[in-house]
Amino acid sequence: MTHPGQPTVIRLPRLPHLVMRSDAYRWIPFLLTLFSTLGVASADSVTVDMEKAGEHYVFRLAPFATKPLPPDEAMRVYVAAGSSTAADLPPLLGSYGIDGNVLTFTPRFPLRPGTTYRVAYRAGTASDPNERTFVVPEADVRPPTVVKEIYPMTDLLPENQLKFYLHFSAPMSRGEAYMRVHLVDESGKRIALPFLELDQELWDPSGRRLTIFFDPARVKRGLLPHEEAGVPIEDGKSYTLVVEKEWSDARGKPLQAGFKKTFRVGPADREPPSVQDWTVTAPKADSRDPVIVEFPESLDEALLQRLVRIVTAATREQIAGDILIDRNETRWRFTPDAPWHAGRYVVEVGTVLEDLAGNTLERPFEVDVFERVEERVARETETLVFVVAP
Amino acid sequence: MTFSAIRLGAIAVVAFALLVAPASADHHKSAMKTGKADLQSAGPLSFGPEGILFVGDSAGAALFAIDTGDTKAGSASSVSVKGINEKVAAMLGTSADQIIIEDMVINPISKNAYLSVSRGKGPDAMPVLLKVDVAGKISEVSLANVKHAKAALPNAPAADAKDRRGRSLRVQAITDLAYVDGKVLVAGLSNEEFASTLRSVPYPFGAIDAGTGVEIFHGAHGRFETNAPVRTFVPYEIQAEPHLLAAYTCTPLVKFPLSDLKPGTKVMGTTIAELGNRNRPLDMIVYGKGGTDYILMNNSSRGVMKMSTEEIHKYGGIKEKTDVAGLPYETIADLKGVQQLDRFDDNSAAILVQDESGSMDLKTIALP
Repeated sequence: MTHPGQPTVIRLPRLPHLVMRSDAYRWIPFLLTLFSTLGVASADSVTVDMEKAGEHYVFRLAPFATKPLPPDEAMRVYVAAGSSTAADLPPLLGSYGIDGNVLTFTPRFPLRPGTTYRVAYRAGTASDPNERTFVVPEADVRPPTVVKEIYPMTDLLPENQLKFYLHFSAPMSRGEAYMRVHLVDESGKRIALPFLELDQELWDPSGRRLTIFFDPARVKRGLLPHEEAGVPIEDGKSYTLVVEKEWSDARGKPLQAGFKKTFRVGPADREPPSVQDWTVTAPKADSRDPVIVEFPESLDEALLQRLVRIVTAATREQIAGDILIDRNETRWRFTPDAPWHAGRYVVEVGTVLEDLAGNTLERPFEVDVFERVEERVARETETLVFVVAP
Repeated sequence: MTFSAIRLGAIAVVAFALLVAPASADHHKSAMKTGKADLQSAGPLSFGPEGILFVGDSAGAALFAIDTGDTKAGSASSVSVKGINEKVAAMLGTSADQIIIEDMVINPISKNAYLSVSRGKGPDAMPVLLKVDVAGKISEVSLANVKHAKAALPNAPAADAKDRRGRSLRVQAITDLAYVDGKVLVAGLSNEEFASTLRSVPYPFGAIDAGTGVEIFHGAHGRFETNAPVRTFVPYEIQAEPHLLAAYTCTPLVKFPLSDLKPGTKVMGTTIAELGNRNRPLDMIVYGKGGTDYILMNNSSRGVMKMSTEEIHKYGGIKEKTDVAGLPYETIADLKGVQQLDRFDDNSAAILVQDESGSMDLKTIALP
């Protein structure tokens, strides 16, 4: 307890008494300093930071006390946007935690590298919000992504070619496929809408392989687009499949370079492939030489990887090993993990295996029901037997 | 017995019946577990009964039933959220060009809109489900601890061989799904063989049976039979028999009765319209106006098309080239850039419409 005019004696004033006296104003600077340590002060004394908590970034504000501000009024995080409508954009989803006098905001989703975030924060209900921006550093620099190869590898395709498989060296972004792949004719003119465009896009689980189908409406006979627009590629002509460099990979970076595949077109292929036309070259017992299966035409690369396997004739037990497909997808080679035992083996082939025009072992891509069609029992697999001899 | 005794007796019987009657409306929910719904992707959406939201997960080869708990009847007659893609991206901590809004449906009970979103565009994109209420407030439908059920969709036929690490690169991309009469129908196509499947999954989901899959075929002019993947479909009753109206990727619009979906049979759709080149239907709904049913379809390049279903039962299929190309339709000229479409109520549809700047608005429009 002090009296006005007397030298200042620092003692903890009792609030109610202080408020009643008009000369309490001289205590204000002291009180501000005192209260700032209790976290009730101007925004200048509150700090925010962006820090790594484990693998992901969080935002921390200190000092924080639950009164008078609830967490989501003390600190809000936004994506920093350049446009004037930024003020309308909602804050990030996330959750708040309080530990001592530290308020932590954990974003619901990991912050995106290369993105700027804006934190609006304040210390008390009376103070205006302050702002601070943070930039999330870019992820480790990896080499740029490239197109590795495009199947089919052959440069002679049937007029009713069904699809392409594009293989990339690293995962890609969805949403741009049909903007980034073009078909041009010999004069460099783009073919309009040659491909089936699906919003989902047909990527494999790793995001490194894209399947592009030619527009079946133009390939199939008897449909209006086939009549009106014609087949996408014509027998006797040459075309180039062009992949644009600007295609974003999964990190949002463009490809290192574009890619081109030039090819000639031959007549339509309407014949279903048959395993009876295949040759099998058997390896020797006790070796790890590959068994070699060859076919007279290129077949679908993805389906060759998936639908052909080696099993023992006796027990149908699958042999473990590695598959190699080469020679423009006319050769399938299988190298076992362990040396071959002498005996009989079976090459088992799923009958949905396609050639380049989508004809399967079971039926042609288009079944002409006006022609006499021999009734066959639909089978899931076709088989070829080979013998491994000493 | 006196009259009043009979009445008391009747009341007692009714009261007793109410007490012991199974809560049949809720029994499918009691079969659900509460926990983390482990979606690997969130694609096509469809509402089932009582606020159950079905979600197609192509990456995880699964179908989810999520109990949204959103069963309070709503009476709003419209909804409007400008720049919804930018708002969603901001909430997810990224920019609008880094999200994909996969689908949008309206809960027929509450009129709240639901979105399935990919946060990110690479293979590690995170699936998110969001609710947009009629006031325009956007919130996350948390999958961390939710009442749900899951049905695996067999991805690969039995004859498949995997590579030495057991991985398959094959994905069945789900293009559309719908709940009809106790079944969820799921349409998809493979990223390898050219095949289209329509799977019928009974709901509530059984323990083992993942439903029957049939292959869908098209017969051009009754002559050329090919596999025909389905882009989008809608259930519809024709002369009291449940049918599906389906848009093939190769452009015909077809109908076929649900009773055709028997395992092992070839399902051949009957063409009711030839939608022609440069046509990419994204969504289809059916609505009634002035005593006639219409199909409304949003189309990538053609805008929104309205087709009458009058005479639809008479179509035995377009057999000859010279046949008139099926059901008549008109294009609604001033509706361009409609990315998503669903029914809102008897008078309105809800749409997600995108302008040239890429900004997307959620709004309701009068059914034309």
